[in-house]
Amino acid sequence: MSDALSEDGSDINQDDSQEDVMTPAELIAKLEEAWLNEKFSPELLENKSEVVECVMEQLTHMEANLQRVKKGDAKAGFHRMEIDRIRYVLSSYLRSRLQKIEKFFPHVLESEKSRAEGQPSLLSPEEFAFAKEYYANTETYLKAVALKRMPPNLQTVDMLKAVPEPCLDSFVFLRVKERQENMLIEPETEEQRDFVVDLEEGSQHLMRYRTIAPLVLSGAVQLI
Amino acid sequence: MDPSEVEFLAEKEFVKIIPNFSLDKIYLIGGDLGPFNPGLPVDVPVWLALNLKQRQKCRILPLEWMDVEKLEEIRELERKEDAFTPAPSSYYMELTKLLLNHASDNIPKADEIRTLVKDIWDTRIAKLRLSADSFIRQQEAHAQVTQIMGINHKAVRFISYQQEIQA
Repeated sequence: MSDALSEDGSDINQDDSQEDVMTPAELIAKLEEAWLNEKFSPELLENKSEVVECVMEQLTHMEANLQRVKKGDAKAGFHRMEIDRIRYVLSSYLRSRLQKIEKFFPHVLESEKSRAEGQPSLLSPEEFAFAKEYYANTETYLKAVALKRMPPNLQTVDMLKAVPEPCLDSFVFLRVKERQENMLIEPETEEQRDFVVDLEEGSQHLMRYRTIAPLVLSGAVQLI
Repeated sequence: MDPSEVEFLAEKEFVKIIPNFSLDKIYLIGGDLGPFNPGLPVDVPVWLALNLKQRQKCRILPLEWMDVEKLEEIRELERKEDAFTPAPSSYYMELTKLLLNHASDNIPKADEIRTLVKDIWDTRIAKLRLSADSFIRQQEAHAQVTQIMGINHKAVRFISYQQEIQA
């Protein structure tokens, strides 16, 4: 029986930007990394829409193949299980992002507006539309429920002040992927002094998110 | 991250199985597996191994560290040392639970292994409590935690919340 399902393993994914060609396995690994980082980071991270799109492509491709294969084929079961697992990671990733967008919507929209040209965007087009709608809906709700009954000079709400910012000082666990030297750790109390640590590849640490935020963006550490 | 998500990650680890069916190589998105021949061992991820086992299509071989003597050594070492020693595997607790629940007939001395792993876990959790406590009391800014993994992180977060509420 010709294996309709065997073509996909050798498919190579190429996306539109300057990213290198990745194997499907590498793509899934990237998705899982993005998922874990998004789960454990206190703020919304850069949007990885290329990864999301490529994964969706792989999933639809595989599902289409499975439709063609006759029922009861042993391999179909394995592929289906794998598809379910990947789908779970993808949904969880997107859900994580939506939760953070809802939680920090004015700050997220502000960052997106003040983003410089050429910098990667924080939100995908759909997420941006969602954030704007959420903002508009919240405003309308607040107006209808309370603001319109206030004295005229108190009828506006500054969302940026009203909604708390993400707490970048929360502690996170991380695993080091690329060795970093001389990371400056700021003291917690007045009696302590600044000290530096070297982050060895493969080691795991617990520290404030703020210190290592740029390393998460560059991919030098993985949140766990 | 809740325990079921930690289990999800643990299920990606590889384990050796002996299938009782034959199937040529399968090309999953995440990598190639097989071919499967009756009686010949093959490496598969735990999620697949468990599914096959439940459908009675394979036998699961115990992981290299799931051995009574090895675990006794690890337990003794863990009890002697104040610091953490390397755990048997990144997800030893989750893998023990999964494999012993579904494939205890394939693993010799399953009950002893369960007890040993629980002992190791208890010792490590006790150490975790102590170190999380001192971390918060001394208001440390950094800790190196290379030896703890998986469900232990959740335990640390939980203990930290408790401590912060008390403090």
